[in-house]
Amino acid sequence: MFYTPWICTRCLVRTTRRLGGRQLRWHSSAAPTLASTSTSKPIYPALLERARAISKEHASLSQQLAENFDTKTAKKAGELATVVDALKQWEAANDAYTELSTLIHDSKTDPELLALASDDLPSTTTALESATATLTQTLVPKHPFASFPCLIEIRPGAGGGEASIFAADLLRMYTAYCAAHNLRAQLVKRETADGVEDMITEAILEVETPGAYAVLRGEAGVHRVQRVPATETKGRTHTSSAAVMVLPSFPANDEAGELGFEDPGSDYYIDPKEVRLDVMRASGAGGQHVNKTESAVRLVHLPTNTVVFIQESRSQLRNREQAWQLLRARIAAQRREAREEELLKMRRGVVGVARIGRGDKIRTYNWQQQRITDHRSGLTVHGIEGVMAGGPNLEKIMQSVRVWLAEREMEDLIATESGK
Amino acid sequence: MPRLPSRLVAQASQRNPLLALVLRTCRDPTSAALELKWLRDYAVQHCVHTRGNWRPLLFRLCAARSRGYPLQYLLGSEFFGDLEIKCKPGVLIPRSETATAVTHFVNQFNPAAFNLPPRLRVLDLCTGTGCISLLFAHLFPKQRTPVKALQIVGVDIAPEAVQLAEENRRALLDQAAISSLQNLRYIQADLFPPEESQQTSVPSLIGRLEALGQLEWDVILSNPPYISPNGFNRDTSRSVRNFEPKLALVPMAANGLADADHGDVFYPRILEIADQVGGKVVLLEVADLDQAERVAAMALRYDWEGVEIWRDELFSHDDTKYIGRIRVLGTGHGRSVLCWRKAASSWLRRDGESNTTGVASG
Repeated sequence: MFYTPWICTRCLVRTTRRLGGRQLRWHSSAAPTLASTSTSKPIYPALLERARAISKEHASLSQQLAENFDTKTAKKAGELATVVDALKQWEAANDAYTELSTLIHDSKTDPELLALASDDLPSTTTALESATATLTQTLVPKHPFASFPCLIEIRPGAGGGEASIFAADLLRMYTAYCAAHNLRAQLVKRETADGVEDMITEAILEVETPGAYAVLRGEAGVHRVQRVPATETKGRTHTSSAAVMVLPSFPANDEAGELGFEDPGSDYYIDPKEVRLDVMRASGAGGQHVNKTESAVRLVHLPTNTVVFIQESRSQLRNREQAWQLLRARIAAQRREAREEELLKMRRGVVGVARIGRGDKIRTYNWQQQRITDHRSGLTVHGIEGVMAGGPNLEKIMQSVRVWLAEREMEDLIATESGK
Repeated sequence: MPRLPSRLVAQASQRNPLLALVLRTCRDPTSAALELKWLRDYAVQHCVHTRGNWRPLLFRLCAARSRGYPLQYLLGSEFFGDLEIKCKPGVLIPRSETATAVTHFVNQFNPAAFNLPPRLRVLDLCTGTGCISLLFAHLFPKQRTPVKALQIVGVDIAPEAVQLAEENRRALLDQAAISSLQNLRYIQADLFPPEESQQTSVPSLIGRLEALGQLEWDVILSNPPYISPNGFNRDTSRSVRNFEPKLALVPMAANGLADADHGDVFYPRILEIADQVGGKVVLLEVADLDQAERVAAMALRYDWEGVEIWRDELFSHDDTKYIGRIRVLGTGHGRSVLCWRKAASSWLRRDGESNTTGVASG
């Protein structure tokens, strides 16, 4: 380029700007700097203890297996093996890290060696960090609903019409996300406010791919939006919100008997006698006298007073199936939540575990600043349009929440471990 | 029909002018919004194929709906149980109450009844769209009875009904591959013998069955015309009265009959046919509890072993009552009358039936 006799000024300016370091940021939220990564997160002692205990158990199991083979023991040992491997890796990484840091902090170290050691430090730190992460992940038990498909329910919260518009935006966002990540999604229910297509009062999206619950469960909670609504005439910024619920969706009939739909002790069991089915019927004579088009079905679970109302399809049978599925999902989620709440109360004496329930705001979408901040993981991403179209930044923020959730679960685990 | 409050109409037309059109027939904003959604979906879908503009089509659909034209004729189908049945003007639209009764009827069959014939022969009289026979053929094999094969014949006097029923059968055979639909056929015939008939050009049923070489039938199902002339003028909704075939709603009969008797014309004839073909179970749809009682009384005169009345909702058996010696099941309007011969009482798990009815009458 510099051999050309003449360069247009604009190109010249652009080149220098690119060379001239980073652009200044005027936003209040600071981008993560390199400095923050150099301090590695410590592993919780209780967790380490647990890992070591498991390792010990694994060793004794292997010895047992060497003496006489037994499939049950082998299976158990296989399950524990991942933890043992992760622990070994972590110990290796930890040893390397401690060695390096003693070298660096030691004043008698040879300057040449010191330079080498500080060169090695970042890579060792990241190795230790990833080893810590793997170790904790292997220790945290899998969520019981993780392998299920899920239902996403979206409802507008505070903020009137703008909240309904935002709820519709969220529905579009999740639909696009599912399309982009090869998750089969189907709209179960979509009720528009006042017949306006872009404003919804309730929407239920069924994501049929198994394991979708694990992917999307971090989305449950209140999503807050800050923008100048389309309905605003004076250009003021409004804050409104929409609530998202993510429920596991269970198969309509439990063929393998794994879930125990028929077993009264199971979370998934619903006594048909406790459910009242209301089929909306026109008053007056029925039969040949009228041809009604109502196909709405309402199910009421009497003990918990949970009401499910479905009228989307013209087929009453299809509505009934959908309603049962939704009811089963809601009841199971309620039961699980109640159990978790109980556990939480037990643990509060040990540590103050902060849990964000579905009543708390979890994420803010700010249109003016083009940013989306998740209040749990603390991650901020930019580019509203991309996120609302289900783009890669949405996955980034969701991934951060998944990590955060795993950390919370780990904390719970530590709390129960140290509370023992 | 009470006048719609002008506030409701104003609100609807403010939201969407088409909604106000649909509201004229629906009378209720939520169901109007739903119907509009279905109509729009249909219009958009339709125009994907024809590459036309869906908006004018949607307007025409809504305009027709505002005059009370049945939604099912506009969309071309109605759901009946879990089957989608095609509907065309000139043939009665299937009703959901009928589907409930047929489903309940199939559920009565005892899988362990070994005196069931290996080949069950079923007649569906006044078949219309063919909905009853199609749903029966679809559900019955799922009951896993000792019955190996079904032979079903649907009968209607109207040629357009027979044609549509056959069309429905083919469509379901192609889509859902319900193999039991292969032994199902539809014929055009008049239930009444030529001397009593109002339409002499159509051959009578018994003659047609003789020609088929099949005069023995086990199960007779029917949803005959049962509305009396006064009932037609007074109780039917506008959409039914103006747009559905009167032939399928009000029995044609000689003048000079009392109003209620006029509505009941088909039942004695069907019971008579059942006698002639050796029918063992009969399921008849009726308008209300009064008609159900009259039909049940007729059936008792024909010496049926057991007679039962079913109402609209049959979810629980808690609300069983007796009228004389007739058991009445469910809640809501009286909807069907079930009659069975002694030979069939074990088919339907009603073995101890004669004793209990005896106690109830005593």
